[in-house]
Amino acid sequence: MNRCWLALVEGPAKGADAAARAIATDGHPAGTLAAWRRRARPVREALRVDERLIDPDGSAAWISLVLAPSGVRLPFDDPAVQQARRQVLLHPFPAAVSTLLRDDSHFEGAITVARSPTERRRLREDPFARIFPSRLLSVESGILGAAPPPTGPTIERYGSGNPWPWDRFG
Amino acid sequence: MSAPHGARHATGAVGVDAIGELAVGGQVPDFELLDHAGNQRQLSQLVGGDPTVLHFYRGWWCPKEQAFFRRLVALQEDAEVAYSRIVSVSVDPPEVNAAFRAGLGARWTFLSDPDRAVQTQLRLRETTDTLNNPYVPAVVVISPDLRIHAAHNGYWYWGRPTHDELVRHLRDISRDLRPDWEAPTP
Repeated sequence: MNRCWLALVEGPAKGADAAARAIATDGHPAGTLAAWRRRARPVREALRVDERLIDPDGSAAWISLVLAPSGVRLPFDDPAVQQARRQVLLHPFPAAVSTLLRDDSHFEGAITVARSPTERRRLREDPFARIFPSRLLSVESGILGAAPPPTGPTIERYGSGNPWPWDRFG
Repeated sequence: MSAPHGARHATGAVGVDAIGELAVGGQVPDFELLDHAGNQRQLSQLVGGDPTVLHFYRGWWCPKEQAFFRRLVALQEDAEVAYSRIVSVSVDPPEVNAAFRAGLGARWTFLSDPDRAVQTQLRLRETTDTLNNPYVPAVVVISPDLRIHAAHNGYWYWGRPTHDELVRHLRDISRDLRPDWEAPTP
């Protein structure tokens, strides 16, 4: 898996490989959702994401963006994070989902992508939102693709540096 | 119920040598079917790089299947941390599979073969049930190249693999597959 980074930034996303405006549910601008395919972290707030989610040709989508509050860190292997991954596998799978990582051992958040109205309603039941706060946003076209559901039932990462549910070693 | 298994009896190996077109040492065809959410899925993509339990079952209505699924649901507690996968296949449509899966609490992929195309290809139709024309119950454990490591004919319930037998098959494949099976030590 190549390194891929995601961040919600204010203003333009310098050097991003894909970017689109994000809008809050109240209609106010929420910044720019941006992605970078590179080894080094592009901006301070960027987190590693499953690269299959990023598609510069992707259509508009709704997302649940779960982020750890500043200064809060939770081990990726925490039972709460394990249970959230089980819940994702158990329930109807969204257009795409990825955990977000800064390093090899901590859960820093998750992004869940919805396209159909049904998927959008389910964003309010995002299992990762039971761990950290979620922001529901609409995102314009140009950044988010789709990824197939994992086969299951694996909840482990394929290499601790890779976001779940990326499902191959190497 | 005509699979040959005399040689296996002699060696004490579990399972059968073949069921339908699924023979130990052979390869499962890389078929495509709809999953429980209606997505087109290819077997090789579902298997990825992991040992996989590929399970053909009659349908949600069969008490024997309900009992065996409880065994697989127990297995998923191990499989979810063991880099192993499970795929279940029936002739039921995706919406029925989705409901059955949810009721079981299964967290793996269910595939639908309502046209019985794969069933025909694999010669796995249960000929004694002309009402449902279901799959004959069968379990094969396969490696990432879709090669069949073990096969179990579940027409009679005791022909099905136990939890321990499935673990043994998955361990055998994992040992061959993982280059660092012998843990690196100083």
